Amino acid sequence: MSGHGHGSGSGLNLTLKIWRQKNAGTPGGLVSYQAHGISPDMSFLEMLDIVNEQLAERGEEPVAFDHDCREGICGMCSLVINGNPHGPDSATTTCQLHMRRFKDGDVITIEPWRAKPFPVIRDLVVDRSAFDRIQAKGGFVSVNTGGTPDANATPIAKHEADLSMDAAQCIGCGACVAACKNASAMLFVGAKVSQYLHLPQGQPERYRRVLAMVAQHDAEGFGGCTNYQECEAACPKEISVRVIAEMNRDFLRATLIGTEL
Amino acid sequence: MDGDVIKVPAPGVSKVIDRLLASTIGQKAIMAVTGFALVGFVFVHMAGHLQMFQGPEAYNKYAHMLQGMGGIKWGLRGLLLVGVFAHMWAGVRLMMRNMSARPDNYAVNKWLAASASAKTMRVTGPIVLFFIVYHLLHFTLLKVSSQGFEDMVYQLNGVGDVPDVYQRMVVSYQNPVLTAIYVLSVTLLGTHLAHGIQSMFQTLGLNNNTYRPAVQVASRALALIAVLGFVAVPLAILAGVIK
Repeated sequence: MSGHGHGSGSGLNLTLKIWRQKNAGTPGGLVSYQAHGISPDMSFLEMLDIVNEQLAERGEEPVAFDHDCREGICGMCSLVINGNPHGPDSATTTCQLHMRRFKDGDVITIEPWRAKPFPVIRDLVVDRSAFDRIQAKGGFVSVNTGGTPDANATPIAKHEADLSMDAAQCIGCGACVAACKNASAMLFVGAKVSQYLHLPQGQPERYRRVLAMVAQHDAEGFGGCTNYQECEAACPKEISVRVIAEMNRDFLRATLIGTEL
Repeated sequence: MDGDVIKVPAPGVSKVIDRLLASTIGQKAIMAVTGFALVGFVFVHMAGHLQMFQGPEAYNKYAHMLQGMGGIKWGLRGLLLVGVFAHMWAGVRLMMRNMSARPDNYAVNKWLAASASAKTMRVTGPIVLFFIVYHLLHFTLLKVSSQGFEDMVYQLNGVGDVPDVYQRMVVSYQNPVLTAIYVLSVTLLGTHLAHGIQSMFQTLGLNNNTYRPAVQVASRALALIAVLGFVAVPLAILAGVIK
């Protein structure tokens, strides 16, 4: 640690407007809090930890927010910060956002993901199990058990593997839904479809997968894609909207000329 | 155990229709295919319209040819009508769904990437529809802004008396108010197409990261060409170049 910016009084003084909501059935609202002496080296979530400690000391209910690995790979953290899912930095999850990105005196509005299929559980925590249900419909490959296959038995072209791996970067955080003006999860579903689309292992269930996952997406109540491309801009893993084109193409192919009509 | 395979609804031909009509991607495909047909019409219409620059003989001859197409004309009109209704039906259904998917909006509502053209699709679409209805009442049904149109006839070589659509157009767009309405409506149509054309490619899956920049540029360029092609005639009339 370089040790700069740790002296008392040298930190950031911020006004936080945080969405507080007891549960899905109770209406919520923004509540203002003052955060004093926040170190620019802190992560956004560490800043919220400090605020929560102070709330607990005062005997108030701490702010509930989702987090787990705090390394940008688990997909648990969320938060719409001043209108940006995962905050103002591109390709960055909220846990990897640092307070040096903000200036002394800033007003920061913190809201939960907002979508009908993502009901608020408490404060900034939303229920994202709709994603689990979509995944369970086809976000996997069926593999027979038996002897371990040889690692290089199935050749895969480098560029196809790259496309698959790019899609597989999706951590399922839901920022695409939060950013989409239609609360559509097409970037998420597209990423999960594209991940297997480019691999030989994904081929046997290719059409079933896209039909079943899109049907579940729609059944959950997510909106449709209007190609605003907001999702791509918000995605902390830089998933491209080309995965949506691939999903659309395969969905239509499965619907019109698939062998499982 | 059947938990380890991907299950899809029971097979059947009706599933094809179901999936197209009921799924968000199917509804968008309907918008894209009908949009493609309507864009096709826009460019054919524009090409015909530019013949105003060739004078009354050429333009009235072209109009007479179109009117003489009989069954083909009505077939195409029927297709366009179905196209417009299917485009609207899918658009409205998707819009209702999209609005209900976010019942509570953000306190700080920010746009990150969308173009102005994309953001205004649901506004420009209905305005263009109103303009099309008005335009049909004006030139096809002669119900509005069409005083004296019945009397404008043209002596076409080898044919005889035909409606003088050239003169009807000239008289109409010598009026600055009508020209202003036209220019504004066609500009909004262009705004709709600038996003609509590229959206069509993306929705039908005819897109990837290699084509994407080209699709985007082509979409905007085609929209601009449509606007320029359409506004050229009324502006030339207003300026006295066509009379």
